[in-house]
Amino acid sequence: MSSIIEVEGLTKTFPPSARVVDGVSFSVAEGTVFSLLGPNGAGKTTIIRMLTTLTSITEGKALVGGHDVGKDPAAVRNLIGVVPQEVTLDNELKGIENLLLAAKLHHVPKVVAGKRAKELLRLVDLEESENNRVSTYSGGMKRRLQLVTAIVHEPRILFLDEPTVGLDIQTRTRIWDYIRGLNREQGLSIFMTTHYLEEADKLSDVVAIMDRGGIRLAGSPADLKDSLQGDVLTISVEDGGEDLAGFLRSIPSVTEVTRTDHSYRIKLPKVESALPEIITSVASKGLRIIETSFSKPSLDQVFLEVTGRSMRDAEEGNGNYDRFGNVHARETR
Amino acid sequence: MISESVALGRRALTKWIRNPFAVVVTSIQALFWLTLFGGSFNPANAFTSSSGGSLGPLQQAFGGAPNYITFLAPGVIGLVALTGMSFMGVDLVFDRINGYLDVLRASPIPRTSIYFGGVIQNIAKGMVAAPITFVIALVIPNGLKVSDGFGVLNVIGVFSIVAALTAVFATLFTGIAISTKSTDSFFAAINFLTFPFMFTSSAFFPLSFFPGWLKPVAQANPITLASDAMRLLILNSTLSASQAQSLLGDLAGLAVVGVLFAALGIAMARNALKAR
Repeated sequence: MSSIIEVEGLTKTFPPSARVVDGVSFSVAEGTVFSLLGPNGAGKTTIIRMLTTLTSITEGKALVGGHDVGKDPAAVRNLIGVVPQEVTLDNELKGIENLLLAAKLHHVPKVVAGKRAKELLRLVDLEESENNRVSTYSGGMKRRLQLVTAIVHEPRILFLDEPTVGLDIQTRTRIWDYIRGLNREQGLSIFMTTHYLEEADKLSDVVAIMDRGGIRLAGSPADLKDSLQGDVLTISVEDGGEDLAGFLRSIPSVTEVTRTDHSYRIKLPKVESALPEIITSVASKGLRIIETSFSKPSLDQVFLEVTGRSMRDAEEGNGNYDRFGNVHARETR
Repeated sequence: MISESVALGRRALTKWIRNPFAVVVTSIQALFWLTLFGGSFNPANAFTSSSGGSLGPLQQAFGGAPNYITFLAPGVIGLVALTGMSFMGVDLVFDRINGYLDVLRASPIPRTSIYFGGVIQNIAKGMVAAPITFVIALVIPNGLKVSDGFGVLNVIGVFSIVAALTAVFATLFTGIAISTKSTDSFFAAINFLTFPFMFTSSAFFPLSFFPGWLKPVAQANPITLASDAMRLLILNSTLSASQAQSLLGDLAGLAVVGVLFAALGIAMARNALKAR
């Protein structure tokens, strides 16, 4: 499979501050979905902005569809569709008018544009609202329209920057179905950023985990989770008593133990079969377990494993919450 | 490039036709200039109240205008072009803020068509405000009195001048709108610029009232050039040789200012649309 995107040593510095993107390299195979997963401020949006010719590249090289983004941005713009974080539709225009304008700006011939606009509206179940002004649309409808507005000219690759940020879970799931459909049924290559683990997990062929300007790990969601080698059991014991780490490590199926105060994070292939033994053993040491929890491999754990902090901590560290507790979508550019 | 500019211009106009508040308010502004300013600052007030608004000994200085509103109306048309062109560019600032400008920048359209799309929509909006101003001036009591022979050609002439003035301001303010990153800096910039344009022009009073140091500035002001040219066509059904000459001089001046503003506007827009 040929690659639609090739990036090497991509770096962006906004003087005088630090490197927002720091020597990132990856490639995206044509026809696949590639996600950059990471907390707000990790540099995801800056990468998308460099690849879509909006932000200049400080160092390194990026090819989109074989064209050098830095040297031949015009050629790149002919191949790409872009869905930014914010909805950029015209509220005063009707649904179909928004689509036709996008078609016009991408030099789609009028006859083709009309036909394609109808098809796309049907694809995202908006054909009944096509003659309503966008101001009457719900948030989910706007996102769907925005999505097809970006592909009315049949780009080779679609860039999605946080495609479902701020949507409720039902709407989000629906958008995922459409995105998956575009990839599977229309064979569209998709490059997206997200800070929703589930979104990256559900949609991507390849996930690249980003933190502080760099890609820490990349692979298919399944491979990334497999790399954790099993489940994670966390037990907390009552104050006092000996350090159980050594003891826990001696249990045959346990592969790794990390201790924080009175909590132990234990990695093992299958938690269900080992749990009774561990509880009995700890109890036999005379210690009372006050809390246990376990989790199956998730991308959140992969993130934790790779970066040493959970996605939530990483986001809080960036202080991007507004007074309603919502995470701000916009990153530093 | 032209088809994209037109498409973008049409987008803005469709939006505006469906939500005409801003343009209507801008147009009605003319009513305040003509009745309030035209009422309180009317030089005829200084003379007798029984002279029917005649400018008396000042009539010559006011280009032979039969009353003050007749002198003021072309100036107000110019002012409305100025305020309209400056404020209406705010659409472009919002396009930047809400991300639409980035969508355009990532699309294969020439950068300059983003700029010219803005210019086109502004000119179109301005051309709606001008006739409204003209009609308001005609219908208010003691209002605009056109010359006896005022005909179709004069109307075409007046509105061609309005179109030219509108274009001159549109090129400058579209450049400013594309390059400002927030609404408050945009409004600060246009407020900063509109007052000097307004008060160094012959919109309110003839150039002969200006102090010597201000005259050269006022003479180059596009509002002066346009309103003086309009006055020639409103007050005279046919022009004498010297009047025709000064009309041509005004138009040439407008063209020069237009080219300068366009060069400045394009440079600002290009710079603002570059990837950084």
